[in-house]
Amino acid sequence: MKKLLLFAVVGMFFSTLEAQNIYFTKDAKINFNSSTPLEDIVAETNQGTTFIDIVKNEVKFSVLTTSFKFRRALMEEHFNENYMESSKNKEFAKAKFSGTITSPIDWKSEKKVTVEVKGDFTMHGVTKPITLQAQITPGKSGIAATAEFRIVPQDYNIAIPAAVQDKIAKEVTIKVDANYTLYQH
Amino acid sequence: MKKKNVRILLGILFAGLLIGLSAVYYVFNMPRRDLSKEKAMYQMEASQLVADFKKDENGATTKYLDKAISVSGEIKAIRTLDNHSVVFSLEDAMEGVSCTVDSAETVKNKARLEELKVGSKASFKGRCSGMLMDVQLINCVPD
Repeated sequence: MKKLLLFAVVGMFFSTLEAQNIYFTKDAKINFNSSTPLEDIVAETNQGTTFIDIVKNEVKFSVLTTSFKFRRALMEEHFNENYMESSKNKEFAKAKFSGTITSPIDWKSEKKVTVEVKGDFTMHGVTKPITLQAQITPGKSGIAATAEFRIVPQDYNIAIPAAVQDKIAKEVTIKVDANYTLYQH
Repeated sequence: MKKKNVRILLGILFAGLLIGLSAVYYVFNMPRRDLSKEKAMYQMEASQLVADFKKDENGATTKYLDKAISVSGEIKAIRTLDNHSVVFSLEDAMEGVSCTVDSAETVKNKARLEELKVGSKASFKGRCSGMLMDVQLINCVPD
């Protein structure tokens, strides 16, 4: 009987632990910039879904490419039809990142820290390893995080036609801004 | 006689140029899709749309992506984003259908949206952008 009670207590302890190590948001802000002196190209979405596991120090991100909003409707059309080929299949319709925080982090500190995150970035059906810097601020009710990194479209098999080559930056800067809350299922 | 021909030719060329330029101008400044003026290509229960995506995400992405879809279901969660758009989660707060109403539309449909509460039945028409955890409809208008 005592053993059973112990099991029950230990079981309860672990199940609460399980439930409290995952933070998430479905409203992460993601924007990218590939502007050149010839053309302003910026796009933004508020529909990034992301998770942080504070026990495993894992981060996951995904966003639908058609949710990006540009300055002109024509840019949105070109982005999805010519460059991302979003409607081809589910892999092309999303951009994803899955990685691990490799710097030490104290989730109870409530102080802003800069950490290194290593992982795989998938876009346009191509996956590449990337390393990026993120600023993480753990708080009482949630976690705030921002990150910035650069990618080269050609690495992801995105061909940019010669005619517009001078209008689109060779490197695209991606910025992420997320406010996580505890994930309760 | 010859001079007159040249003048007519020039006139035609000029008119053609004008039409061409205005076409280019229009495409370049093409207005965004206005879902309130579009007829929904698919009309369905939110739960059915989620089921379709869960069964075959690839097939559903090809079928529904960028199409105007009207879905109805019970509101499980309402949240306002930083950019003042409002997201209504239908059928399930985590894995249902997320309908995002852009800030401009929330102003236009203020009275109708204010009636909507968690637990009430609602119907939205929007453009499907695919599935993450939930199926996402963007540029939504109340239907």
